[in-house]
Amino acid sequence: MVATAQETAASPAVRARARRQRDEELLVWPDLVFVEFIAAVVFTLSLTALSILINAPLLDRANAGVTPNPSKAPWYFLNLQELLLHMHPALAGVIVPTVALIALGAIPYFDRSHDGQGEWLATPRAKLNLIIGAVVGAVGTLLLIIWDGSKHVVLWARLTGNDVSDWPTKLNWLRSARALQIHINWPEELLSIPLGEKVLRTDLLGLPRVDLNVNLPALIVEQALPTALMVGLPLLMAFILHRQGIARTKRDHMIAQFSGFIAVFVVLTVIGTAFRGQGMELLWPQDVGMPVS
Amino acid sequence: MATTERPEGRSLGDRVYDMLFHNYVWQSIFRSGYPNTPRNQMLVVATNVFLHLHPTRIHRTHVKITHTYCLGGLSFFLFLGLTITGVLLMFYYVPSVERAYEDILALETDVRFGILMRNMHRWMAHGMVIMVLLHMMRVFYTGAYKPPREFNWVVGVVLLVLTLLLSFTGYLLPWDQLAFWAITVGTNMVGSAPILGEPNRFALIGGFVVGPNALIRFYTLHVIGLPLLAAIFMAVHFWRIRRDGGLARPL
Repeated sequence: MVATAQETAASPAVRARARRQRDEELLVWPDLVFVEFIAAVVFTLSLTALSILINAPLLDRANAGVTPNPSKAPWYFLNLQELLLHMHPALAGVIVPTVALIALGAIPYFDRSHDGQGEWLATPRAKLNLIIGAVVGAVGTLLLIIWDGSKHVVLWARLTGNDVSDWPTKLNWLRSARALQIHINWPEELLSIPLGEKVLRTDLLGLPRVDLNVNLPALIVEQALPTALMVGLPLLMAFILHRQGIARTKRDHMIAQFSGFIAVFVVLTVIGTAFRGQGMELLWPQDVGMPVS
Repeated sequence: MATTERPEGRSLGDRVYDMLFHNYVWQSIFRSGYPNTPRNQMLVVATNVFLHLHPTRIHRTHVKITHTYCLGGLSFFLFLGLTITGVLLMFYYVPSVERAYEDILALETDVRFGILMRNMHRWMAHGMVIMVLLHMMRVFYTGAYKPPREFNWVVGVVLLVLTLLLSFTGYLLPWDQLAFWAITVGTNMVGSAPILGEPNRFALIGGFVVGPNALIRFYTLHVIGLPLLAAIFMAVHFWRIRRDGGLARPL
């Protein structure tokens, strides 16, 4: 009798909803446990097959006296090693990955809406933002690598039938990022600006004092320009997507930025793995040889 | 004394089945019987320590392979596989500069299935990095980081870092040219940080160059320090999935 009283107390809509939810549920045993079991078996078999077919690499015994050329980090850090070729090591090796990880962790605190939750790319414009973000990230990274590797000069030489050395002297500063430092006549006083020990007070942290002597062109090429590009280009993309009405919500912006990040990550990793040969020179994969990892 | 009704004419199969599964010892281990009724199926999931990571019921869309591609589960599965092959490898490996490389050579030539063990450990390690990255992408594109799951996404980012560190610390252990120079390049990156880089690099490799101290540090981190940390974060990760109501659903 008590149960009946409770049932009548709930509105028909509430009871109908509860019933509907139950109807759409499956039991974990057998429906999920079975899927997991099959996945585990398939994975174990394919990994065993792979391990029978391909041996893990083992080179000569470690020798601190013989440096292989090129020396590469494990493949998942080759994106950072690729960045290292284009900017100051502190930026590439530490600051960029730290900022990237913090930004990654901050995604849910930025986009707090419930839109598109629990379904693949469920919000309107999600796929479009994914494609634009990924294409801009991939193409942008490729273009920047080609520029810094002076491969646009090679391309120009191929297209015009000239030699690489025929590149106009006046445009030498456009050869690569480093050319901005070398091929521009910077005033002598900018090459060494003494800032002394008062600017960076490392002594307050109990560390040795740093005598700052700034080389402005080097600072621009190694730090200011890469930072401006890495911060500015995503912001520019966000601005254009916003103005064009393609990214209207925070979720849209998140999808574009995240897809761009993944594309940059993949392009840098692939270039670092397959396109960097002796002396970390930019080469075609057949000239680099089989990557070992 | 309670009697159970025993219908006449039971087949031999039924009697063997009863003998095997309806005896005192078996029922002391598995309390709920073979899960052939909905009640027993829910009981087995709720009472079994391994299965109780799951809820007893789940929405039908979450069973579809294309919803998750099992990526998180496979990452965990790879972690378990890496633990098993890793423990087996530890039987044969001594983390000293004199012995490490010889031990790997011996593992490949003298130990039965040694090379298979090492190969599986290596490919599973690469596989885990890939699976964790793909799992992160799946969670992002299905919007599964949204409230109330914000912090679990952060735990996931920590697990991604731990996965990379686990792989990186294991990379040095064979003590061949590949290992030595990859770690030299990698740790030089740490050293390039402003001000704190060099002290951190020194602490990580226990000296100015990769040597015996680096090997023992990486080994200790690889076989106990980082796996323990990862296990703790995984426990939190899985627990919070359950607390937050399972996989994300459209509202």
